Formats: sequence, C-alpha cells, structure tokens
Amino acid sequence: MSLAVTAEQEDLRAAVGRFLDSRAPLSRTRELMERPVPHDPETWRALAVELGVQGIGVPEEHGGSGIDVQALAHVFEETGRVLLPGPLLATLGLAVPLLLASGDSAAQARYLPGIAAGETVATVGWLAPGAAWDTVGGAATAVPRPRSGWALDGRVALVLDGLAADLCLVVADTPAGPSVFAVDTTGPGVDRHRVRALDPTRGLAEFVLDGAPGSRVGEEGAGSALLAAARDQACVLLAAEMVGAAQACLDMAVAYARQREQFGRPIGSFQAIKHKCAEVLVEIEGARSCARYAAWACGASPEEVPTVAALAKAAAAEAFFRAAADGLQIHGGIGFTWEHDAHLFLKRAKACQVLFGDTRAFRLRLADRLGI
Amino acid sequence: MTTHQTAYRALPPTAAAVDPGPEAEDFRHEFRAWLSEHAPPELRGVGWPAPPGSPHTEALRDWGKVLCDAGYMCVSWPREYGGRGLSPVEVAIMNEEFDRAGVPRVTRGRAETTVGPAVIAHGTEEQKAYFLPRIISGEHVYCQGFSEPGAGSDLAGLRTSGVVEGDELVITGQKVWTSGYYESTMMFCLVRTDPDAPKHAGISYVLLPVAENGPGTGVEFRPIRQLTGRSGFAETFLDGARVPLFNVIGGLHQGWRVTVTTLGHERGNRATIAHVAYARDFWALVEEVRARGLAGDPAVREKLAWAWTQIETMRFSGLHLLAALAAGQDPTTRAENGSVTKIRWSEYARGFGELALDLLGPEALTAGGAGEDGLGYWQEQFLSSRSGTIWGGTAEVQRNIIAERVLGLPKESRGMGR
Repeated sequence: MSLAVTAEQEDLRAAVGRFLDSRAPLSRTRELMERPVPHDPETWRALAVELGVQGIGVPEEHGGSGIDVQALAHVFEETGRVLLPGPLLATLGLAVPLLLASGDSAAQARYLPGIAAGETVATVGWLAPGAAWDTVGGAATAVPRPRSGWALDGRVALVLDGLAADLCLVVADTPAGPSVFAVDTTGPGVDRHRVRALDPTRGLAEFVLDGAPGSRVGEEGAGSALLAAARDQACVLLAAEMVGAAQACLDMAVAYARQREQFGRPIGSFQAIKHKCAEVLVEIEGARSCARYAAWACGASPEEVPTVAALAKAAAAEAFFRAAADGLQIHGGIGFTWEHDAHLFLKRAKACQVLFGDTRAFRLRLADRLGI
Repeated sequence: MTTHQTAYRALPPTAAAVDPGPEAEDFRHEFRAWLSEHAPPELRGVGWPAPPGSPHTEALRDWGKVLCDAGYMCVSWPREYGGRGLSPVEVAIMNEEFDRAGVPRVTRGRAETTVGPAVIAHGTEEQKAYFLPRIISGEHVYCQGFSEPGAGSDLAGLRTSGVVEGDELVITGQKVWTSGYYESTMMFCLVRTDPDAPKHAGISYVLLPVAENGPGTGVEFRPIRQLTGRSGFAETFLDGARVPLFNVIGGLHQGWRVTVTTLGHERGNRATIAHVAYARDFWALVEEVRARGLAGDPAVREKLAWAWTQIETMRFSGLHLLAALAAGQDPTTRAENGSVTKIRWSEYARGFGELALDLLGPEALTAGGAGEDGLGYWQEQFLSSRSGTIWGGTAEVQRNIIAERVLGLPKESRGMGR
C-alpha cells in the first residue's frame, strides 16, 4: 500500500462526510457540548453499524475489518471538521492500540469485539492529578485480591471521555512497575466525575478508585511500553483530526473574507487577509503531508512511527492553532461572540496543542528519538 | 567545517511509500548497475552545480559528457527529442540512486527544465532539431533574461524592445539578475515586440546567443556583486543585439503564453529532491552542535527538532506527490502546488541559516572559511538563503498566487497597468 489515496479511502471519506453532515454537523456538536457528557451513543453505534468505523481499528479475528490506520486517519480528518464530540480518539487512538500492543489475546477477545460493534466505549487513564504528561505511574496502585484479579486504589486525572467510557484501561503501580488493568467503569469502587474543560467538545473526567476490581492486561510491569505505543497512535490520529479541523477553520475564514465587504470591497481582496490565509494553507498542507505519512507508517514503516508520530502531532497542532486563531481574527467582531463557531475551534486547537504534551515537549521528544 | 558527509544519514528509499511499479524498479536496478560501474570516485561528495572557480569544474564537465553519451541527460524529455522519456517517479528514483552512490547528478540546469520544455511544447520541428541537441550536449548553456530594473514581480511590465528588421530581431534594453552569465552561451529572454498591444500580449520569447559579448557586440554583462561578496549574476545591457527570427519560440508576440506554460516544469522532480541537501546540512550542523557541547541544551534541541520537522515535511510532500503520480492520479488538483513548495523551502532555508549562525557562537563572527571574502560554509548559507524568498517570484507574490488561484480570494485592484 503506497501513500496515494485509494478510491476506497475516498469513498470512505465521502461516506463519513455525508454521515456527519446529516447526523452530526457542527450545530449538533454545540448541543452536545452543553451536556454533562458530550457524547451521543446513537451516533457512536451508527458509526460502527452503518460505516464500520470502529472496526477499521480492530483485527478481523476480533470482529473488525482489519487494522488500517491510513483509512482511519481519513475518518479522523472528517470528524475533526465538525469537532465531533465523543470517544473516537479515546477508544481508537488510545485503548485499542494499547490492547493490541499488550499481546494479551484473552483481553483482546474480551473487549475488541464490543468496540468493533460500537457497543463498548473504551479509554485509558494514567495521569495522577497535576502530573506531567510524560509521567507513568503514581496515579493508582494495584494489589492482588485473595482469589483472583486485582484491586485498584488512587486518583486518575484527565481521562479522555471518561464519563462516556464503559471500559477504562488504568495504568497502576505494582511491585513490578506500572502495569495496565481493565476496569469496568460501572463497577464497585469506581467514582468518576466530570471535569469542566477548556474545550467543551471533548469530555474529560477524573476517576477515584477505591478497591476497584481490575483485571491485568499484558505483562506485569509493561505499563510504560504499552502506554508509549498507544500514545504514538493517538498522536497520529489526533494529527489527522487536527488537520481536518484546521481545514474547516480555513474554509470558514475564506468564505467569510469573500463575502464580507468593507471600504466597498470584499476584505479578502486585501493582502493583509490574503497572506494570512495563504500562510495558513501552507501550514495545513505541510501538516497534512506529515499526518498522512505518519498514518501510512503505522502500517508500512513501523520503525519510523516513534519519530513521525511526534513530528506529525507537533506540526498539526501548530497548523491547527494558527488556522483557528487567524480564522477568528479574520472574522473580526463576530468571531469573538459565543454565537459564532470560531471559539469552538480555538478552544479545541489550544486543547489539542497541550494534549499529551505541548509542542516544545514533542520537539524535545523528537530530538531524543532522532538521537541528536 | 566542511566535512558534510560524516553525520549524514541516507533517507529511506521511496519504493515502499510510492509503489513505483515493476517497470520503474527495473529502471532502478539498471541505473544502479550502470552507476556502480561509471560513477567517478573523485566526485564523491561533490555538489552540483559547482560554485565559480571550483576545482571540480573539469571533472564535472567530463561526468556530464559520460552521462550524455549514456543517455542520462535531459531524461524527462521525450525520446524523440533526445531524452529518455522518464516519468517523474523514475526521475525521482534516478535522483535517489545518484544520492546513494554519493555522486552529483549533472544536469543542463534551466536549459533542461525550462528552455527545452518550451521548445518542445511551442517550437517548430526545425527549431527542435536545432536547439534541443545543443542543450543536451552542453554546447548551449543558458542564462535567463526575464527581470529588468523596472520589471521584477511585475514581470509583464518589461520594456526591452525587439524590432523586426527583415528576418532578424534587433534587441535593445536592459536585463538584470542574469545568473550564471559567466558560463552562458545563450540567453532565453522576453522582449517587447509589439509596444501597442496590451501588457501581456506584445511579448516574445527569444533565444539569444551571448557567447560573444562585450563592447561592440550588442551584448554586455556587468557583474553585480551580491551580499555574499560573490558575483554570481550580472546586469545585461542589450544594445542592438541581432538574432534571427528563427530564434523566436512560439511565434512573435506569443512569449507570455510560452513562459506561463513552461514555468514550473519538472516540479515533481524538484519537490522530491529538495530535502536531500537540507538533510545533509542538518546533520552537519548537528555535528557542529555536538562538537561545541551544546547537544544537551533543550533550547538547542527544540530548534533542531523544528528544523528536522521542516525537512521531513518536504520529504513527505514530495513522496505524496510521487505516490499520486505513480497511482495515475493528477496531483495538480491538490492544493499542494509550486507556490506552497517554494514558500516552504525558501523560508525554511532562511530560518536554518539564522539558526546555524546562532549555534556557532563566537565563530559566527569571524571569517576563516574557504569562501571568497573568507566567509565560512555556514555564513555563506545564511547569506545566500536570503535570495530564495526573492527570485522566481517573491514570497509575497507566491502568497498572492495561493490566495487567488488556490483559495479563490478576489484579486486586488492593481495599479494603473500599461
């Protein structure tokens, strides 16, 4: 499979685009963001049943259609365009790659079919409140229970779509080091609450675990490695999402600049506006090249993933923020209102830039991975 | 400061990302075998084009002749005109193999990428038969005569006049920024042949012999010293220079059309190779940074990672372009066009030049390199990078092009044109 966009990918993209335009447009995002849980289970199921989206991230033997990150990235570019609220990133970006990396076939057989079918929402939690992004461990501890399984205690912050999730893969400390445990979010000993977020279109939760039952996923002590693999794929898909969102910002700004008149002519005829738009386009095209290459590498050039994932995340975050910020500026006064959508993109852009580590952190990570 | 090979890392080949197909892979093997037999060891690590006065000039000329004789010159031209009919993907493969063998790909420069395609697209069969073989053989080396003191970004405002006298054109006027004048035998230039026609309509595309120049010849170059201290280009004074009408390509007054349709030819070629030289410089700078004990400084590491991101972005976008071409798609429908590419590399090069001098520390202030005026490699890079956002359409013009042609923003009302 080369980097070229295939007809199947174009079809998938168009189908997802049509689905979102009719069932989950930006106006629907605005409705959902006012709710305690910004997630629409019906849309989630329909994405799985009608379009097979969740299955694209899941191997065939577990009910999916076989992993195709390239295709998935096209889906994320589309969902980014409408800032689709919901657990796509948490489930397909973090939880599924973690399960796959674990090599734990029992856990995979138990959870992946439900995910592929759109019946299970999964997420991953690893951060202690106030901890830096790179910290692994320190959020929770796990001790073996007398008969079977483990019991988890602790406080896990910034769990993506934590209130929507049925399953949370928690990284908790054991004597062998940080390890991953599957926790049923509706089970005993789990108290989760909503965290109000800068970006209201992506749900954040904090989990308080008090003897919560958990079953180990993968080897004991493998938590750091599994989390790293999951985060790389999350960065790749997040990059694709950001590219789609950035393109939506540019499209909005250009449409407005063509129509809004001042001094008797469209403001888009002024070089100050034109050059801003052109610069944003250059950034977006670069970010798209990086994001699509990274998605391709997930399947075809895995040894490059650690570097290109870091690179794509940083490049897309910069492009998205610029597109959102300049897009808002081009809209002038209306851009500063609640009524206009510009602020939704600005908030998502800043949140994405900070998520999993800011651009500086990702550049330093890239330097490490390049062996500079 | 000049061992730029040590830290360089070969890039992963395009094969997996592009899927060039079995024919192109056959070509790769054939060309690799040919190179391993013929690549001159003395040119390993030598760049092309060589700067004026380079000790490698002769060896490079000989290597060019070897490539020519083997049919590896002007390879993207059709076979019937002496080329090899290579697709952009095959040209990229060829570049990759030159890089792998560590020897430069000698080309015919702008004669190959601009003049030849113009002649092929717009010339008569007689013109093709005369001009094309001379480009391939290297007998005709071209400099460009487009810009004038009063016509830079607004190229169509040019005033150099061409008056028809019998079967000749008599050219009078002034051109500027004539790069490579010192090794040229021909100049491809735009002249105004119909002063009464609208701005873009009265221009002709002329191939003017300039091998004989100096007082009394009608052609005079006056070198311009550029900010690097070198004189890589000149002002060109044309005073009644005579050229047969045979040398007008595409017909009298049709020059604008000829220019517009052949600018940016072989874009795919350049887009897929530009990052290689930047990657070499990048790893050389990393070596400098290590030697100064700065590699552990997070501020330095962050900047280097920024630079690497830009270089990789160039590589990725080139690969996307090639993959689309190899899959039979038309990549020109994508927003990724020549203006985007040019803004990306030219602004990156400036930023990298600035970064390099920052990281050299006190050494950045002192001379002592091999360059003229004693400038070192990194100082040369820093200074010469300032031209990239100016020539061939300034960065500002490129942004206008993107805004108007890609994004569909309305044209600005221009000043009073001709």
